[in-house]
Amino acid sequence: MQHIAERYTGASVRRSEDPRILTGSGRYVDDVRLPGMLHAAFVRSPVAHARITRIDVRAAAEAPGVTLVLTGEELERSLVPGPGIAAMFSGGAPVPAFTTLASDKVRVVGDPVVLVVAESRYLAEDACELVEVDYEELPAVMTSQAAQDPASPAIFEDLASNVLVRSPVAVFGDVDGAFARADRIVRADLRQHRHQNAPMECRGVVCSFDPESGELTVHSATQGVHIVRTTLSTALGLPPEKVRVLAGDIGGSFGLKLGAYREDVACAAASRRLGRPVRWMEDRLENLTFSGQAREESFEVEAAVTNEGEILGLRVKMTIDTGAYPGMGAMLPELVKTMIPGPYKIGALSFEWTAVVTNKAAYVAYRGPWASETWVRERMIDLIAMELGMEPLEVRLRNVATRETPPLRMVTGRSLAGVTARESLEAVAAKVDLPAFRRLQAGARGHGRYLGLGVATYIEPAPGPLEGRGGGGIMGPEQVRLRLEEDGTVTLFTSQMPHGQSHQTTFAQVAADEFGVPIEQVRVVVGDSDLVPMGFGTGGSRAAIMAGGASLHGARALKARVEEIASHLFEAGAEDVELSGGSVAVRGVPASAMSLAELARAARSPGRLPPSLAGDVEVTAAFDGGEGGWSGGSHAAVVEVDVETGQVRVERYVVAEDCGTLINPAIVEGQVRGGIAQGIGAVLLERSAYDEETGQYLSSTFMDYVLATACEIPRIEIEHLETVPLDADVNFRGVGEGGMIIAPPTLCNAIEDALSPFGVRVFEQHLPPARILELIGAIPAG
Amino acid sequence: MRVGSLTVKPPPFDYSAPDTLEEALFLLGEAGDEARPLAGGQSLVPLLSLRLARPSLLVDLAGITTLRTLGAADGHLALGAMVRERQAERDVRVRRLAPVLADALPLIGHPAIRSRGTIGGSLSHADPAAELPAVALVLEAELVAESRARGRRSIAAANFFTGFFTTELAPDELLTSLRVPSPAPGTGWAVDEVARRHGDFAIVGAAAMVRLDTSTGRIGEARVALAGVGDTPVRLRETERMLDGAEPADGAFADAAEDAAARLSPPADVHGSAAYRRHIAGVLVRRTLKLAAQRAREAA
Repeated sequence: MQHIAERYTGASVRRSEDPRILTGSGRYVDDVRLPGMLHAAFVRSPVAHARITRIDVRAAAEAPGVTLVLTGEELERSLVPGPGIAAMFSGGAPVPAFTTLASDKVRVVGDPVVLVVAESRYLAEDACELVEVDYEELPAVMTSQAAQDPASPAIFEDLASNVLVRSPVAVFGDVDGAFARADRIVRADLRQHRHQNAPMECRGVVCSFDPESGELTVHSATQGVHIVRTTLSTALGLPPEKVRVLAGDIGGSFGLKLGAYREDVACAAASRRLGRPVRWMEDRLENLTFSGQAREESFEVEAAVTNEGEILGLRVKMTIDTGAYPGMGAMLPELVKTMIPGPYKIGALSFEWTAVVTNKAAYVAYRGPWASETWVRERMIDLIAMELGMEPLEVRLRNVATRETPPLRMVTGRSLAGVTARESLEAVAAKVDLPAFRRLQAGARGHGRYLGLGVATYIEPAPGPLEGRGGGGIMGPEQVRLRLEEDGTVTLFTSQMPHGQSHQTTFAQVAADEFGVPIEQVRVVVGDSDLVPMGFGTGGSRAAIMAGGASLHGARALKARVEEIASHLFEAGAEDVELSGGSVAVRGVPASAMSLAELARAARSPGRLPPSLAGDVEVTAAFDGGEGGWSGGSHAAVVEVDVETGQVRVERYVVAEDCGTLINPAIVEGQVRGGIAQGIGAVLLERSAYDEETGQYLSSTFMDYVLATACEIPRIEIEHLETVPLDADVNFRGVGEGGMIIAPPTLCNAIEDALSPFGVRVFEQHLPPARILELIGAIPAG
Repeated sequence: MRVGSLTVKPPPFDYSAPDTLEEALFLLGEAGDEARPLAGGQSLVPLLSLRLARPSLLVDLAGITTLRTLGAADGHLALGAMVRERQAERDVRVRRLAPVLADALPLIGHPAIRSRGTIGGSLSHADPAAELPAVALVLEAELVAESRARGRRSIAAANFFTGFFTTELAPDELLTSLRVPSPAPGTGWAVDEVARRHGDFAIVGAAAMVRLDTSTGRIGEARVALAGVGDTPVRLRETERMLDGAEPADGAFADAAEDAAARLSPPADVHGSAAYRRHIAGVLVRRTLKLAAQRAREAA
């Protein structure tokens, strides 16, 4: 028996995933090899917008090794019509009609047109080259301005135009009064650029249909096995119980791998038709060009402010470019609307938005999908400070909501209970020593060196306060199932689908503490739709709080069950039975001790227990987030800009984060750092660039779509605040998305501060070296 | 009619791995422009995977030991075409006899790339944004080529790079070695580049060498070459002439930089406009000349 000295929760327990992954023994979808497996490749559109006038697949069908060639029209005959995954994240916006493989029109470069299945991927690619497709090109609609031009050709003919949604104006508080009372109005047109998830592992699927049983088994790189099951069973017209979805290790996703994509549906249909497994691994060109992109939004903002820096109100008009096919774009503006006041006492807001369709890749979820609310607000605050000649930190502290002062509520209605923005702002300001930095900055400018400091703060509903949180639906409570096995170990089944989050470590930490066994005796099972409880999967920063909480309550329930069983076996009162250190005993009678293994076996032995307790020692528990609360924090960055080359170096990066009770500090810090790395990438490196005339995609390799590497990421100093416990038991909060939400405004603010001697105002998020030189006037704007 | 091809899988090709140069030259001679020599594969393999290159035969040079020699003799450094960039980077003779080359090598990709990439492969590929072609120009290196039809010939770097990814080499001809003359005593050097990230192709790269006249302290000879500003690497001879006999002072280098930038018509891409490249070229010309002159002074 192992002695448990202290709690695992709160300790940087080493990841149980690491030995497998770091030694190259992980099992990814690309590692799946099934007998008789075939390989799929897609003929994709080389143009952005065109009518398909002819498809000739005869030569491809006769090419060596080819077993099946499917056009969109032919594939559609084997599918149940419907919007599929597209409807799930539409936010109520119209969902246009389109086929799984493009059949009448192509709407983006990379649009899949023909599926080729062959004995190898190489042969499939060779055959793809033999497919002839005639395109009658249409003008490409490449910007939201173009999309709003009534003369632009409709990308989806069943939509009246390329404007998907034009919202009414939502008004919170007395907006007109705020602007009437204001000393000044600060205006800005702010632009967030298109960039994308680019996970290390691309999408991928192996579909295996068994003609005998009528069952489809799908190996998928996905954030949630049940959404894949739902979308595939619906599209193929199979009962959900005939579809089993398995997921192994996943090489990142950041929101991309949600549900079954059009390629997955095509491969499943091909496998059903052929009765053989069909595998498709997306290559990098397909991934960068077509899988999905995010963040392309623009804002017209007016802020009503007093000369003392009080922000009385905001007027915001948002436009979002959702790309060609439905993804998540149309559901985001409403989230941005409710979140844009952030942790501030902004007293009035008017918000309206427009969503448009263009000939670009679909707008998909990307780490902190609604992040523009933070970027826009935190950018505006610095612009306001600049206008008023105030220190930006002072403007933040003047407006930030504090727990001592009501109303502790955003003007959009959300409670700010438990918010700790002020504490985190003060923490980062102290850490960078603001007055000392200003002296250093002034001295450096005398030597032609341009240093800048940026500070920004955010909150994230992970899960958000209980009040106003939607209780049900796919984002509702999270279930876990725990079973005591006959060897005395505990198996925890969760619908969470880790793709870097370390769930197999963190849930085991929580359950081991609560159940009272060494962590090695808790095994976390994920990635099998037949085994894990029904659930959304991983996303929306729900794992730590929802599944972490369910793990805690589940382990507590399993312990109660074990003690109840033991009381029957010992013929003692339940209160006299104690579970500790991996065995149960009558309190005060060590000799009575029975190991958990013995207990599990006894429970399955006929006649030893009443029917309600006999059999598997298994419980299910659900957790809805409880009192919840905000995750959040403040970041500060010090940058140096080389004003001759436009290069920006991040000299120092300081974080004060509050995700409530830490399950595993090392894992929390990994999430924070990873998010910041992507935020640095967004501002300095990454852009999904299109030729606005031809619609060609210009960032289709990693030479053009440049990701941050270790060389570009500074050392990141992290301070943890665990300020306000709201729940009796569960005060974990999500932390996966925050770094990516807050790093872009932190850096933009720092760069603008560095360039203030040039009078530079930053209205865009992407600031590569060439753009820096344009902003300071060293070169003409390109 | 258009045929879609978005792929990262090579089309079919034959593969041959000769042990000797003679055999390789024979294969290239027989196949003509249907064959491509494969050196380190750091550029050719991606081009194959994107189906942008479609040779019917790859002649792998990795087994030809005579192409891997690195040596110094009679004032020259000689690098076999198959010397890996990483090997050259770590060689003391390269550091001593061609410091401008030694400084340029670590800017090529990352160690894993340089462990495969070769001196000859990079030069023959003639990417105008690559480091080695510009360095070969500034060093006034000789490129030795061989073919069955023409035998052996030596091509001055100035005549080697003829266009966008094209060289003086005939389809059946192989670059076998690079000969680098030792710099005159009292020569300083500098290499610098601006890239999106460390290890990326340079947006603009510059290599400079400056020799000071020992009696006057004025510039005896200045050389500067750029990568990333045109179809080929560019040697700035007019700019160099401006510096003949000039004081090695900030003003002269600034004037040279302005002159250089004005002469260029660089390309534009997702990483920057032509105006950006022209501006960076000026900055790098000034910075490299200044550092090279400083090193020349220290050497004197």
